[in-house]
Amino acid sequence: MPRLSVSPSSQPNCSPVWLISVLLGLLAIHTNAKDVLTVPQQVSLSANMYTQHLTISWLGGAVTTFDLIILRTELNETVFYETVSVTMNQVSGRHQWNWTSVEPLQCTSLSIKIRSRDGQTTSEWSNTQILQGSDLPSNEKFQMYPQDRIVPVGANTTFCCIVEEGLLFGTIHYGNTVMNTTRLSRRSFATTVVNQELSGETGTNVVCFDNQRTKLTGAVVFVGYPPLPTDFVCETRDLTSAVCQWKEKRDTNLYRKRGTRYSLNKRNCTLSSPEEKQKECSVAQWEGNFTLVAVNPLGQYSLTDSAEITHRVHPVAPDNLTFVVHAWNATVLWQWEYKSYPSLALDCQVELASQGYKTKRTFSGVGLRSVVLSDLYPDEDYNVQVRCGAQQNFWKWGSWSKSFSFKTNNYVPDAPDVWMWMNKDYTGQVIWKPLTQRQSHGLITGYEVTLWSPEVNIQHTELFSPDTYAVPVNLTQIATRSSDNKVMATVIAKNAAGVSQPASVLIPLRLTDVEPLTVSRAVYTDRGFPLFWQRNPNDTWAYVVEWYEASCKWDCPVEWIKLAAGNTNVTIKSANFQPGVRYNISLYSSSSEAPELLQHWQGYMQELVPSSSVLLSTTQHDSDVVLTWREIPLVNRRGFLLGYNIYISGGSQLTLLANLSDLESRSYTVKGLSQGLYNFTVKAYTSAGEDKGTTASITLEPYTDWLILEILASLGIIALLLAVVTFICYKKRKWVKKAFYPDIPEPKLSGDWSRSQGPLDVKPSPHSLVHMVEKPEWDSSKEVLVVIPEEDEFEGDEPVDTDEPTSLRYYNQVVDERPIRPRFPDSSDSSASSLDSACTDVTYTGIQTSGSSLVFQLDPQGSSEGHQPQADLSVCGGGGGGYRPQMQSRAPSDDIGLASPEPFLEPQAASAGDYKPQSSWHFDSPVEAGESGGLALSLGSPTSVASTQFLLPDGEEHAEEQRQPSSSAATWFTNLLSSTKP
Amino acid sequence: MAARRTRGMTGSDLSRATVARATAIAELLRYECSILLELYRKKESFTADVTVTESRLVSVPPPSSQLETRDKLWCLHSALLQCRSFLERAIAKEEEQLGGGKKGDYETQRKMVKERLTILLINTGELLKTAGGVMVLTPSSEGLELDGPTILFELKLWIYRIFEEVDYWTKTAITTLQALPSVIAKERARTTRVRSMRSARR
Repeated sequence: MPRLSVSPSSQPNCSPVWLISVLLGLLAIHTNAKDVLTVPQQVSLSANMYTQHLTISWLGGAVTTFDLIILRTELNETVFYETVSVTMNQVSGRHQWNWTSVEPLQCTSLSIKIRSRDGQTTSEWSNTQILQGSDLPSNEKFQMYPQDRIVPVGANTTFCCIVEEGLLFGTIHYGNTVMNTTRLSRRSFATTVVNQELSGETGTNVVCFDNQRTKLTGAVVFVGYPPLPTDFVCETRDLTSAVCQWKEKRDTNLYRKRGTRYSLNKRNCTLSSPEEKQKECSVAQWEGNFTLVAVNPLGQYSLTDSAEITHRVHPVAPDNLTFVVHAWNATVLWQWEYKSYPSLALDCQVELASQGYKTKRTFSGVGLRSVVLSDLYPDEDYNVQVRCGAQQNFWKWGSWSKSFSFKTNNYVPDAPDVWMWMNKDYTGQVIWKPLTQRQSHGLITGYEVTLWSPEVNIQHTELFSPDTYAVPVNLTQIATRSSDNKVMATVIAKNAAGVSQPASVLIPLRLTDVEPLTVSRAVYTDRGFPLFWQRNPNDTWAYVVEWYEASCKWDCPVEWIKLAAGNTNVTIKSANFQPGVRYNISLYSSSSEAPELLQHWQGYMQELVPSSSVLLSTTQHDSDVVLTWREIPLVNRRGFLLGYNIYISGGSQLTLLANLSDLESRSYTVKGLSQGLYNFTVKAYTSAGEDKGTTASITLEPYTDWLILEILASLGIIALLLAVVTFICYKKRKWVKKAFYPDIPEPKLSGDWSRSQGPLDVKPSPHSLVHMVEKPEWDSSKEVLVVIPEEDEFEGDEPVDTDEPTSLRYYNQVVDERPIRPRFPDSSDSSASSLDSACTDVTYTGIQTSGSSLVFQLDPQGSSEGHQPQADLSVCGGGGGGYRPQMQSRAPSDDIGLASPEPFLEPQAASAGDYKPQSSWHFDSPVEAGESGGLALSLGSPTSVASTQFLLPDGEEHAEEQRQPSSSAATWFTNLLSSTKP
Repeated sequence: MAARRTRGMTGSDLSRATVARATAIAELLRYECSILLELYRKKESFTADVTVTESRLVSVPPPSSQLETRDKLWCLHSALLQCRSFLERAIAKEEEQLGGGKKGDYETQRKMVKERLTILLINTGELLKTAGGVMVLTPSSEGLELDGPTILFELKLWIYRIFEEVDYWTKTAITTLQALPSVIAKERARTTRVRSMRSARR
């Protein structure tokens, strides 16, 4: 730094030294004047606390470069130290420089010093100027800065807290956030909030607590946006003034006195509702160009709009609407608020609302003030409002007028839609559809119904209440008196305005005579039943399509629709259609003649499964089961039956036996079932599926034919068995004979008396007398032993059962030596075979009154094959003349041969008391056989004439057995073998 | 005070039903006040340690058991009147300085408290009238510092302080009103005793 040095002179004389010194001094002065910079003088400070701007001004001469240093006075911390270029204000001759502090200027005292700089040369520092802060000891209060600051979103703000004298600093909170702080001075602490977000509506609080949190101070900061208006447009409503509107694109978050101020063409706007997004401001005269300026503490924004007034006409709403009302039309009148409107060409819209529907009608005219609304409906409420727009340079529709209502006047009703329903007799109904409001044209007061037969000129008129829509008719009387086949029914509706046109329907008296047409099926679709029919080109009649529930037979609630001539199809719809209900749909001609049935359909809106099942019954036919069932009633079918499914149930499962698609056959035969319990289920089905089905059970019993067959088969087997046994016995007869009956030596007689005929008296067993009689027709050369009955001998009826030994006479008769055929072991058969086997009459004299005839007789023919018992019997019976008790008790049918066992059973049963032994000797009686022991084999063939044991009663039999254990059997076999002896 | 005591009626004339009704209203107001304070604290992010009860805004003689029922009622009524004045001013100032675009629960609750306080004042006024007191506000509303601070943070604290003042005086009202029946009973007994003594002297 150049120094100004002044040296005092010691001698005043002018010597060269002095001159040199003066020159040097002048040079030095000149040099100092050039090298030593002026120290800034009169430094002054001017602070804007809100903006935190500090303005520093000083006198600095011609120098333009200065060093500035700003220190925090208390802590001597440098806040700012820079070299700045500042030009001198030519007017004031002062230098001025502005500095913006990060911290509020109140936070702490600042010391400012300036010095001039010229390159590396600087002047001395100016005197220090101090900007006093609010943390001076004299200001003891708890303070916070800045207060009530408004900053834009994203800004950074530094707050400082000056602690109350005597307290210690605690914390600073920004909202709920505890902030980091820096110390500015003994009592001042600062914090900086960066990138600030929108504050609450009442701002964000910055609160400073002391360390004890007993005291606090704070500040409020508002964070928001500068204004951003949009959609600025001006228009006129009164054709004079301008109304400008705009919106705020975003909420500035600043309200009340911090909120946005607007000015329109530099005139302040007073907003009626500042909170509304749509804002409006007016100017008295249309100026053509409009400028909107929006200002708030964070900034301002401008918008402009330009337009001719005629291009921006937005009409006001028509006022004072009035009406002139008629039945079918009405006139709407209104007034305009402004006098300029009558000359304005307008398009006006009238919105007409009725019965929930809205229509708009547009009318045009200069200064339009009324319109006529035509094509209205009588007796109907209308709601009307009107709006208009400029016809030329249309800008926008004006506001809607207030809504007004009116009701049109009454009018005579429309003619009702009339139809009829006829039952199978001459009764029926005249029906008409209720008139809608748009048909009745006023409150219906009643109906007038007239029945008229033109031929017999019978007319009957009756009045009915307004809620009547069907009138019963009885045409029996007319039908009997009239040869015409129709009666006309006329219906007239009445209301306050008058009566309707008459509506007529011709009722055919011969309706029941109409042959039923083939019934087609109508298939329901989403829209209803679509129907189609052929049209004869010559037909000029209209049509009526009627429908009703098919299950209804009497006074049915019929619905109908009338169609103009030429139609060939229609889709009928009804809210009354229900699923599962069959509908009859009929097409009638509608002409001057009585309606004629043209076509007939049936259909379901939706087919369901039948609601009931068939009535099922079962019957057994041998091994078959016949299932029969009745038809399901129509109302329960709920669909077109497609057939029946027959199931047999085994446990819980159903097995399909058959599917019958023929609805007419309602029976089914299940064949070839064995005995047992069966469950059969029959289910009818429609297109919707099967019904629940009916189940019937049946238990199959054993049937008669089978029983008979079984018996016959058993008998056959038994017969075969017997035959085999007999055959075997026959084949082994020698062995049998040896085993059971060895040959009895013949009596040895002297002479040949043995060959002569004569009685041989033999003493028979005490209880039987047997006569062996020679058969007359036999060859006399053959000798036979004939047992002579006792009665023959005694020729009386005395009992033969005596104690006297009965003599048995043997006639010396030749015995047939031919072999004997096998015999059936059956007792009855043995009787027969006895008849068959020989013509030897054997008379059991011990049995005189009853008993089976066991007649053993050789086959006269000598044949071992044929069995002709009848012939044999007759021959033997006729020729025998012996004992024939069995034959006496028989009916003529006893002549049946062996094939039929019954004839033998009956007399056996009848004579059971008398012939117990015989019955007990049946071959198939194992008990008796067992008891008889070895006699069994001999019993079936009573060929032994010497034995009567098996003819005795039981008791006697046993007694006899005791007496002769084997002699009777031996006798029997002896006879047998002797008779078969060759 | 002397003027108020010219009509020497005792609390024995007070209607129990009116006292009970006033007590119920005070209790309801106390509940609504607590909600209002909660909403305000939430709105302004005031933590629990933000306390502003340096001194009472409402100036009335301190409640004392020595006071007669009429004087107690007068003090209470006067305090509540001041509370309502402060509350109305606080609401107006808040709307003016801090009002926002939307009205929420806080604003609704604030309005409710003000109206409930008015109803309570009507009831305490009736009680005071029955007790023979004069319904004169002391000090007058002109004497109250109703302007409030201009600095927004201080304004917020001032509003908070007013809400707490309303809460405080509501609690005081409940205590005072609940104590009234016993006072009535005692005073009735005392009155009866005095009359008996006077009769005996005669």
